[in-house]
Amino acid sequence: MIEVHNLTKAFGPHTALSGVTLHVAAGEWVTLAGPNGAGKTTLLRLLATLSRPTSGDLRLFGLDPHTQGNAIRQQLGFLSHRTLLYDDLTAAQNLTFYARAYGLPDGPARIAELLEQFQLTARQHTPVATTSRGMQQRLALARALLHRPRLLLLDEPYTGLDPLAADALTQLLTELHASGCTLLLTTHTLESHALGQRAVILRKGRIIHDAPLADRTAFPALYRQRLEQKSAPPHLPPAACDLPPAAHDLPPAACSLPLAIWAIVAKDLAAEWRTREIFSAMFVFAALALLIFSFALDLRGAVARAAAPGVLWSAIAFAGTLGLSRSLAREQKTGGIEGLLLAPLDRVALYFGKALGNLLLMLALEAALLPLTTVLFDVNLLQWTLLPIFFAGTLGYAAVGTLMAAIAVNTRAREVLLPILLLPLVAPLLIAAVRATSGLLEGLAWAEIAAWWQLLVVYDLIIAAVAVLTFGFVVEE
Amino acid sequence: MISKKLTDPLLTALSVTVFLAALAMVFFYAPREAVMGEVQRIFYFHVASAWVGFFGFFITFLGSALYLIRNERRWDILALASAEVGLTFITLTLLTGMLWAKPAWGVYWTWEPRLTISAVQWLLYLAYIMLRGSVSSPEREARFAAVYGIAAFTTVPLSWFAIRWWRTIHPQVFSAGGMAITPKMLTTLLVSLAAFTVLYGALLRARMQLEQEQDRLAALRREQEWEV
Repeated sequence: MIEVHNLTKAFGPHTALSGVTLHVAAGEWVTLAGPNGAGKTTLLRLLATLSRPTSGDLRLFGLDPHTQGNAIRQQLGFLSHRTLLYDDLTAAQNLTFYARAYGLPDGPARIAELLEQFQLTARQHTPVATTSRGMQQRLALARALLHRPRLLLLDEPYTGLDPLAADALTQLLTELHASGCTLLLTTHTLESHALGQRAVILRKGRIIHDAPLADRTAFPALYRQRLEQKSAPPHLPPAACDLPPAAHDLPPAACSLPLAIWAIVAKDLAAEWRTREIFSAMFVFAALALLIFSFALDLRGAVARAAAPGVLWSAIAFAGTLGLSRSLAREQKTGGIEGLLLAPLDRVALYFGKALGNLLLMLALEAALLPLTTVLFDVNLLQWTLLPIFFAGTLGYAAVGTLMAAIAVNTRAREVLLPILLLPLVAPLLIAAVRATSGLLEGLAWAEIAAWWQLLVVYDLIIAAVAVLTFGFVVEE
Repeated sequence: MISKKLTDPLLTALSVTVFLAALAMVFFYAPREAVMGEVQRIFYFHVASAWVGFFGFFITFLGSALYLIRNERRWDILALASAEVGLTFITLTLLTGMLWAKPAWGVYWTWEPRLTISAVQWLLYLAYIMLRGSVSSPEREARFAAVYGIAAFTTVPLSWFAIRWWRTIHPQVFSAGGMAITPKMLTTLLVSLAAFTVLYGALLRARMQLEQEQDRLAALRREQEWEV
């Protein structure tokens, strides 16, 4: 089920895992223990395909995570420190999104079954943000089990649970194990109920103990004893597991590219429809930009009409930066992006889904801004001939903006860095869009503005190709 | 085969020699330009630094792509070092261009398309350096920078074609109708290009070595960490 050989994971100068070798057979229940910083979460994230090893071999279900990641993700469930849920969506919407992402043929029935099992039916239409920590934890577990995984990875699942909830979790894990599911969980709790049949102890990124649990009550003493030893033993044979192989249903069919894109767009639009926070922020910011430019440049009469395309595109660019930043920050808030990465979705689908959602938001902004600018600047922007230019300009902006926002959201500077990264990249696009819009407003023919719209098209094609090819590198840990 | 120990002093010596030769040719060999006079001589540095700057960004693009394909640290080091050196030379290009523009065009700066794109390039690679300083995980830093290095370089062809697509007042040294400079000027320009290219190579090598030393130091610290 899990085959890890000589695995190392380094984060720059810090080595989180060093020479880890671990074999877990189908149907085993393994507990991974160790002090803070031992590398437990790092190992689990590598197994969950959220991270790539620096060196060493890793195989799950006999498959290579690097080349067969989606086949692995289809059979793997992961409960993280974070809920990987979208706060702005309800419990039912969250599960519906993940059911689409996993391509579940019986999505609605499975969701109803899990909502019932985890006692969430009564509050299935309540936004996650307004529910209790316990309910979020139950929903997170439902999400991890939604696609009936053969292997379940749980990172500190007992943290923050009261005794009754902890008992319920143990009961659930016992049932899952009895049904043939392989379990690997990390824990700080050395109480016997949290332990499986085999214990692995990590210290400073190395395995210092790996043996079946003969006596669970003696484990805390053994754990302390092993941690007090200074150096690791030279070689640890993997613990034997003679459990019979588990019987499982075949994994459901993977989600097709258009359906995966639609799942992401529908999820984003549902979150935005509920909160309307991105659109309203973008619109107010763009309106303020129009106002500020009018004051600063003293735009009146013919001067205002001549400057309108430039001012409008600047307002769209600035407001777009705000919207893109928020759109990706929403993914980061409770680990939603990790939820996306855990699903068996092509990275291309992730990119197209996010970019399309952002494009629709920006087009909605323009639908509101064009009449406003027409009124404020006394210039007729409500012309069909302008639509291709606005579409091409916005498409390029959303294409490169989604890529840059995905980078910026993972940096320390975040919102501050996004405009610094993005605006120099879109300079040629903005120049072309402004010139093309001005030309058409002046009554020029398409042939006379050919250089500008050609530049827009070339820019869109180049930047979209770069984004599609590189987005996967940006979203992976 | 030249030993690694000898390469650095030899490269430095070569760099100094070619640079002195270029200087001598710029001031004593190349003829005085009839219209612009002495100020035209800055053109040899302006064009050469622009060439090296854009070449540096191309190497960053190449290093970035290779890093994403092969996931080897050396390509990331190459991309980083070349971006820093390229940015230095593009800064020099902008400064020499402004010094030339004042007597030639009457202003230090005009929003002429190629100048604008050069400024955009400068801001792009400044953003590249800022991005590298804003990511906590070194592995992510390398990947993000590689993606940005590739995206940023896509604007270089736009900069190149911009001079033909837009009306411009920038002088076209190389045009379809032949070169607008004399053979002596061309020879001087070629030597300047060679001098700046060798200097780029020397600076690139030094910067890469510095980064490699930092990696070695980090590895030693890692070893000590485990011992403790």
